[in-house]
Amino acid sequence: MIEKWPGSTPAWCPGCGDFAILKALDKAIDAAGIERTNLVLVSGIGQAAKLPHYVKANVFNGLHGRALPAATGIKLANHKLDVVITSGDGDMYGEGGNHLLHAMRRNIGVKVFVHNNQVYGLTKGQASPTSDIGFVTKIQTHGVVNPPLNPLAMAIVQDCSLVARTFAGDLEHMGEMMLAALTHRDGFALVDILQPCVSFNKRNTYQWYRERVKRIEDSHDPFDRGKALELAFRWGDEIPIGIIYRSDRGSFESKLPVLKAGPLVEQLRTG
Amino acid sequence: MIAVPESARELNVRIAGEAGQGVDTVGSLLVEAFAEMGLHVFATQSYMSRIRGGLNWFDIRIADRELFSGREKADLLVALTQEAVEALRTEVAGEGVILSDKEGQHGAIGLGFAGAAKAAGGSAVMANSVAAGAVFAVLGYDLKHLVSRLEKEFGRKGEDAVRQNVGCARKGAELAAARGASLQAPDPVRAPAHVYSGSEAVGLAAATSGVKLVSSYPMTPSTATFAFLAGVADRYGIVVEQAEDEIAAINMICGAVYAGVPAMTTTSGGGFALMVEGLSLAGMMELPVFIMLGQRPGPATGLPTRTAQQDLKFALSAGHGEFPRALFAPGSPQQAYALTRRALETAHKFQSPSILLLDQYLADLRKNIPELDETFRPIDRHVVENPSSDYVRYAPAPDGVSPRALPGSPAFVVCDSDEHTEDGHITEDLGVRVRLQDKRMAKEKGIVADALPPELYGADDAEHLLIAWGSTYGPCREAVDVLTERGVSAAMLHFSQVWPLDAEAVRSTLGSAGARRIASVEGNATGQFASVLRGAGILGDCELILRYDGLPFTGEEIAERAAS
Repeated sequence: MIEKWPGSTPAWCPGCGDFAILKALDKAIDAAGIERTNLVLVSGIGQAAKLPHYVKANVFNGLHGRALPAATGIKLANHKLDVVITSGDGDMYGEGGNHLLHAMRRNIGVKVFVHNNQVYGLTKGQASPTSDIGFVTKIQTHGVVNPPLNPLAMAIVQDCSLVARTFAGDLEHMGEMMLAALTHRDGFALVDILQPCVSFNKRNTYQWYRERVKRIEDSHDPFDRGKALELAFRWGDEIPIGIIYRSDRGSFESKLPVLKAGPLVEQLRTG
Repeated sequence: MIAVPESARELNVRIAGEAGQGVDTVGSLLVEAFAEMGLHVFATQSYMSRIRGGLNWFDIRIADRELFSGREKADLLVALTQEAVEALRTEVAGEGVILSDKEGQHGAIGLGFAGAAKAAGGSAVMANSVAAGAVFAVLGYDLKHLVSRLEKEFGRKGEDAVRQNVGCARKGAELAAARGASLQAPDPVRAPAHVYSGSEAVGLAAATSGVKLVSSYPMTPSTATFAFLAGVADRYGIVVEQAEDEIAAINMICGAVYAGVPAMTTTSGGGFALMVEGLSLAGMMELPVFIMLGQRPGPATGLPTRTAQQDLKFALSAGHGEFPRALFAPGSPQQAYALTRRALETAHKFQSPSILLLDQYLADLRKNIPELDETFRPIDRHVVENPSSDYVRYAPAPDGVSPRALPGSPAFVVCDSDEHTEDGHITEDLGVRVRLQDKRMAKEKGIVADALPPELYGADDAEHLLIAWGSTYGPCREAVDVLTERGVSAAMLHFSQVWPLDAEAVRSTLGSAGARRIASVEGNATGQFASVLRGAGILGDCELILRYDGLPFTGEEIAERAAS
């Protein structure tokens, strides 16, 4: 009988981008003035989805790909809660793709941080929906043949409230983007975080990203949808990071007449 | 063929036609009018999975005593199309009357519904009112009851609409009376005026019990409850969301109950199949989700608009892994109302999923019963009001039920779909695994102790015992009456909670089971409930009376098959 099992220390590889994301998120939560007991971290399954276990918060670590509908249910039941999702590209862009489309369509007021390392880590190195063409794995033996999913363009087309991209190797920028998302009060916020995977993605390395990421210039008007789309389509030699798009569209919960009387969870008293 | 008991007077009126022709409109109009007159009404529907064409019918059985099931034969067939006459004429009783559009063979009396509507100053769509008027004349009922119903029905469309429809009803009555068609109809007896379908009863119970989020994907025959809840959402304060798929629906309600509100989803077999991973999540996280599962014949898409009791074993074992659950199966609109509340209470008391098994027959059947309570009386959610800051979600508890706190309180509420420690965090400690699995399963003992006992109808020493669950309650009950009338000793044992079962209690109810003929009456091809009873050590082999053609049992049919 094993007496002492390893506890809740992060299950990530040394050098993993998840460590930086965890550190930045923990800091941004405080910077945003979010009360920890009012915060719910929601995730699916994968290495990134383990993050909520290492943060002081309420946690709903649900099923693979299903973080968004669970988060939607939580937000609808009590829209006073701060609901934040941290999960990977496989979870959000693959298994949960349909939910992502519809959560964006609803513009439900949750903040989504996608640890996008362009590879499946927990299952040991298969392609993800965002892997580049030509990426060779033990499953995609001739290299990935389909172009990667473009989550930012999808989010802009769906008129999400806030669409941003950052890089896990730039702690300062990542913190800024997280703070912008966490303090964005109404509607769906998507932050795609470019995150090197030191174990299974030898192609999109820290070095590879550093040579390509470029901060979006201050002159960019995030309310300009056409320009935003143009930025979202850029990938390759230059990858823009920053706030790409903003919209004034109201959140799903702000449009529901029943919620005008307060959160549903407070509507259960009689008399 | 066994005759219906002669002691009471009753009639079966069948309205038949194509989809889109207003079969449901005429049927609903008559159901409400008959109920307001004080007749006992029992209405069932048979329809095809299409928007236009085909053959649909609406049966309205009326009597001077309470009714519990439909009947195969019609006494009065109102056929809106010639195809309906051809298809259904053999299902008309010997002395029956057929009213049809065109003058036809087989003794059908042609009334020219649409033409009559125009002649009476109305439009072709008012053919429905012509037909309703004709029915009243054939049954010899005072037309004033129908007129008052039409006034209520069309009042908000304006005076002209009322006047035209009343004119059409009078025209229909005149035409039928001129042809001398008449039937001996039951006399009104002050039966209750409130008509409910099974679907509405579930919806009303959910709304009054405090369900705050309903997330579903439309699927026959569950959509009527979904729509009912949308209709009362503003009144009771409910968010009703049409999810992108059933996977989203179940995960949304998992999130909502985690955050503290009673929540539910409505679905049928195919949709439920997509929900099973989420059901397992509720088992692992100990979330009190509630699912209304409206059964229809499978496998796969099957017969979308027909009835079946084929998903009992599926609901019983759905979801990977092992976790406790409660399964309820109402047999009437009243039971649907009571058990919906009960299922929500059980889910919250034991922090486990509850499933209500309905089917197309019960979902769609309409019956007048005493008014159901519409007051908002939220159930006890068993929530800890002021948790301390060292709270852990899955604290050890002898009965397996840990104190439940909500996010937003001073406590941190941590839930994981992975195996977890008492504080909800992911673990691969195999000792903890066993401890937490035992804790979850310990709840089953409490659910068993609370399990509803089966209801016995008839003598406890009857020669024939019919075992029923869910919607076969009514038909089996009428079968017992038919058999008793014939001098055959018969009784029914009906289970409205089908899992878990208190095996000892049920065994003692069955008493000297070996001495008599026992038959399990089920709407499936394999006798699923009989198998569940065998598995629980409650019953050995028994006879099976099965039906799986997509139509409901009738009392006469069961009586005939049981006595053969």
